[in-house]
Amino acid sequence: MNELVRMDAVGRVWMQGKTRVPVIAFFTGAVLPGDRIAVMGPSGSGKSTLLHIMGGLDAPTSGHISWPALGDARHLRPQKIGMVFQMTSLLAPLTAVENVELPLLVGNVAPVEARAAAVKALDDIGLISIADKFPEELSGGQAQRVAVARALASRPKLILADEPTGQLDHPTAQHLLDVLLAAIEYSGAALVVATHDPAIADRMQTVWHIRRNGQEEA
Amino acid sequence: MMFFLTKWLKGVLTHRPERLLETMAGVALTVALLASLGIFVTSSVQVMTRRAISDVPVDWQVLTASGADMAAVRAAIQETTSCSVLEPVGYADTDGFEAGSGNATDSASSNGTVQTTGPGKVLGIRTSYASAFPREIRWLTGARQGVLIAQQTAANLHVKEGDIVTIRRMGLPPVQVRIDGVIDLPAADSLFQAIGMPAGTAPQAPPDNVLLMPDAQWRALFDPQLAARPDTVRTQYHVRIGRTLSMDPDNACTEVTQMAHHLESQLAGSVAVGDNLAARLAAARADALYAKVLFLFLGLPGAILAMMLTIAVAASGSQHRLREQALLRTRGASISQVLHIETLEAIITGMGGILLGVAAAVLIAVSTGMAENGNIWGWTAGAAIAGWILAIAAMVAPAWKQARYHTVAASKTLMRRTGDFLWQKMWLDVIILALAGIEFWRTASSGYQVVLAPEGAPQISVHYEVFIAPLFLWIGGALLSVRLWERFLSHGRNTLSRLVHPIAGNLSDPVAATLVRQRFTMTRGIVLVALAVSFALSTAIFNTTYNVQSRVDAELTNGADVQVSGLTISPPGGRLAELEALPGVTAAQPMMHRFAYVGHDLQDIYGIDPRHIGDATHMSNAFFEGGNARASLSLLEQHPDGVLVAEETRNDFQLQPGDTLNLRVQFAADHHYHVAPFRFIGVVREFPTAPRDSFLVVNAAYLAQKTGSDASEIVLLRTSGNPVQVANRARNIVASLPGVRVTDITAAQHAISSGLTFINLRGLTRIELLFAVVFVMGATGLILAIGLSERRRNFAILEALGADHRQMDAFIWSEALLMLLAGAMTGALLGVGIAEILVKVLTGVFDPPPEHLYIPWGYMMLLATAAAASTIIAVYGMKLIFRRPVVEELRNL
Ligand SMILES: Nc1ncnc2c1ncn2[C@@H]1O[C@H](COP(=O)(O)OP(=O)(O)O)[C@@H](O)[C@H]1O
Ligand SMILES: [Mg+2]
Repeated sequence: MNELVRMDAVGRVWMQGKTRVPVIAFFTGAVLPGDRIAVMGPSGSGKSTLLHIMGGLDAPTSGHISWPALGDARHLRPQKIGMVFQMTSLLAPLTAVENVELPLLVGNVAPVEARAAAVKALDDIGLISIADKFPEELSGGQAQRVAVARALASRPKLILADEPTGQLDHPTAQHLLDVLLAAIEYSGAALVVATHDPAIADRMQTVWHIRRNGQEEA
Repeated sequence: MMFFLTKWLKGVLTHRPERLLETMAGVALTVALLASLGIFVTSSVQVMTRRAISDVPVDWQVLTASGADMAAVRAAIQETTSCSVLEPVGYADTDGFEAGSGNATDSASSNGTVQTTGPGKVLGIRTSYASAFPREIRWLTGARQGVLIAQQTAANLHVKEGDIVTIRRMGLPPVQVRIDGVIDLPAADSLFQAIGMPAGTAPQAPPDNVLLMPDAQWRALFDPQLAARPDTVRTQYHVRIGRTLSMDPDNACTEVTQMAHHLESQLAGSVAVGDNLAARLAAARADALYAKVLFLFLGLPGAILAMMLTIAVAASGSQHRLREQALLRTRGASISQVLHIETLEAIITGMGGILLGVAAAVLIAVSTGMAENGNIWGWTAGAAIAGWILAIAAMVAPAWKQARYHTVAASKTLMRRTGDFLWQKMWLDVIILALAGIEFWRTASSGYQVVLAPEGAPQISVHYEVFIAPLFLWIGGALLSVRLWERFLSHGRNTLSRLVHPIAGNLSDPVAATLVRQRFTMTRGIVLVALAVSFALSTAIFNTTYNVQSRVDAELTNGADVQVSGLTISPPGGRLAELEALPGVTAAQPMMHRFAYVGHDLQDIYGIDPRHIGDATHMSNAFFEGGNARASLSLLEQHPDGVLVAEETRNDFQLQPGDTLNLRVQFAADHHYHVAPFRFIGVVREFPTAPRDSFLVVNAAYLAQKTGSDASEIVLLRTSGNPVQVANRARNIVASLPGVRVTDITAAQHAISSGLTFINLRGLTRIELLFAVVFVMGATGLILAIGLSERRRNFAILEALGADHRQMDAFIWSEALLMLLAGAMTGALLGVGIAEILVKVLTGVFDPPPEHLYIPWGYMMLLATAAAASTIIAVYGMKLIFRRPVVEELRNL
């Protein structure tokens, strides 16, 4: 009952014109607190799709997904699931710290507390110096790290990170991973990272391999 | 090349038609506005010219020198003017007229007294004259042929039809004639004008004593006088010009004047032309110029606004265009190919917009009936050219600018502004406003003369400078509001955060931060809305004030919605009850209209009920010295023997309030003028139905007592419905009273020739108000379309972060409301300010000047509703666009 996510034979079919393109088929799996999972597969294999389904952003076209330990499925984000997206996803009009506190404000945390948590999250990730910079003033790597801080700030039970290190050089990528792992260590949350970098996958407990055209193996 | 073109066009037309359509709509709007304004001006000017020409009772009065060869004169006139009507009129001076003792039919005055008059004139006309020039003679009582006596003369001599009048010829024995009818000469001023006098000679007052008779009889009586005293008998030819004249009053005036000069030189001094038509056209010329200037001023800001909106629309698609350009360039298109494609797009947009705009303008012109009055194609062509330039400027110019930057990223930095604009650094907004102030002060101190038409000058000049003040207020105000809103948005973050709190709640800080970060876009939106609102408001307020005022003017001339006027012997006041009971009549007030001598000056005297006169007609504060109608009327009420006199009379007689002023008024019993004491209580400047020169206003009861007659020669009616219908009903009631006339306010509105007021601005009002509503809707809708792609991205992120619909709405609504409310507020301030200055500057248009601005509340409600509706539609439209699944958006971040 304490599974954060439980997926039974989940499938996702995209429509391309009139043809059905299955991306994920019969995916079964579960995430428990403290789990460290890497989702691996080549580009276009469906990693992002799977993470979106797990985050409740997208719904499977077949099978069943539930979040037994997270309660009401309508209130997963931002309090219970923190997401890091593959593409740059900072709001251009807001500074780094404002971006980080945004999910907390959305979750009705009082502004003062939200700011404190955001500052701490940025500090943890070593970015306190750029707190007042706007996204357009950040490098791609910095922006991605701010996005990670944003996912961590609300202390979620489950962190879904979609290729968070894709734009980072190796040492920075490792550092970011350290931060992520330290965060879940501390809070007992679970981490699911989509990646095609074996070095990242190596540091995870479990690896879910996804192949093209809806094949998967646990 | 063709490959790119077709591909691009297909792409544009199938995937992204909004931008093209919006730009096209902007071009269409501009073209339609310019064309319909132009058509309106031309048609108004033509209507003015046509009316001016038809208003003139007699085009020319050609005075012949004694001994001139009449046949030659007639031939020359015929040849010069192709005249359709040519009537000889004999003018004979006399020593005066006499009546009284011999009049067996007049029992009242047959007790031996003889009435005599001062010098008078006798005119000899042919029987065809009255039908040739129907505006010269108005029959009151008796026959329409034979010896006709002017009403004033008949009153002086106490005669009516059937009575005998003695004409004291000059240098010859007097002769007696029998009066056949009593007439009024409405155009006496021009009929008896001094012809051939040097310009600038003081105009002659028309004679008080006039007789008309058939030319055979006149010849029999005055040919002997011509022989004895040749200088006292003249012949004029009254002419209606047959040539078709230009429909522009300026040209027409020149044409007529040249014709007159031609005739005079051809006949080498044996004739002089009294050119009534040229005089009338000269007056119309000034009015037409006024009209042009006014329309220009009211319309031009609208056209500028339409252009700005179009450019803003085109710019709102620039992000997208950049991407497409980049795509084209990565596929190998060169800069010039990209530009060719952009040009083609501009051509399609421009063509489409022009076609739509022309169609709209023609539709407007035809539906308002303006097409019949004017050449609509000249202006339409001009408007089309303007639309063409606009399309090129809006689409090709920015594309060209962008195309020079190679990547999307490089040109993106172009869009972000860091420093102030040059004008901001130079404080140009403040300087322009200061200039507006100085110019306004200068205009005010010079007495607001917009159009100068000095008597006798061939050219009139327009002081276009007077429009600097309102124009600069518009420009300076817009720039200043850019400065102020940018400043507020960059410093007022905390205030903003508090303001949006009701909508945004916990998110008010990020919402405020978003607004602050987008302050340039925000300010652009606010100012666009402000300009649209200010255009709508200033136009509407000016037009409403103008309409109210032109009504006041017409009411002043006509006395009320409907005026029934007659003679003392058959006063319409006797039918008051029936008139009051007519359907559509809300109030009826009798008014006595007699004559009284003030010293030697015969003036109109009006007997009123000061307490109730205001029920039937508007008592403007401007009528009375001191500017308080209520106070002046109650003063009159408190003093039964009180009299209000003209300023000139007060000065001539050095009257102080409370002074006794002895007037001589005509007693009903003996038709003689007797002294009656009045008490001077104040000065009246204007009064319903009163002439423009001196007149008197007194209590009706006192005047009745002093004259022995309570006949009310005038009844004023206020109507609730159509005054024309009420006037027709009133005509039936008074039909049996001889000499009674019923006029309604609409006729007066057409006839007034002072200033501009007789042009009906309603057509212009409708056009402009329609456009203003479209502008306001366009501006409010457009502001949300600016930066749509960035906004869409932000929304996808917010949703992915878990924001619910209410929280996402907070962002859209706070943006939309800020732009709408801030824009409306700024626009209202600017609009009222401009209207105020415009009305001040155009004081010359208004006679009397308006007491205050009239706010068209109904229209303002409509405008507010339109703005709110278009904002709501824009917000919901945007939400519709955002309804794509968030995962799809996330892939496109
Ligand atoms: N919204 C969508 N519409 C259509 N096809 C999609 C959509 N999202 C993903 N796909 C398709 O699903 C496949 C997997 O995409 P994705 O999950 O992004 O893979 P990965 O993250 O592993 O690169 C791709 O072939 C992609 O084209
Ligand atoms: Mg992916």
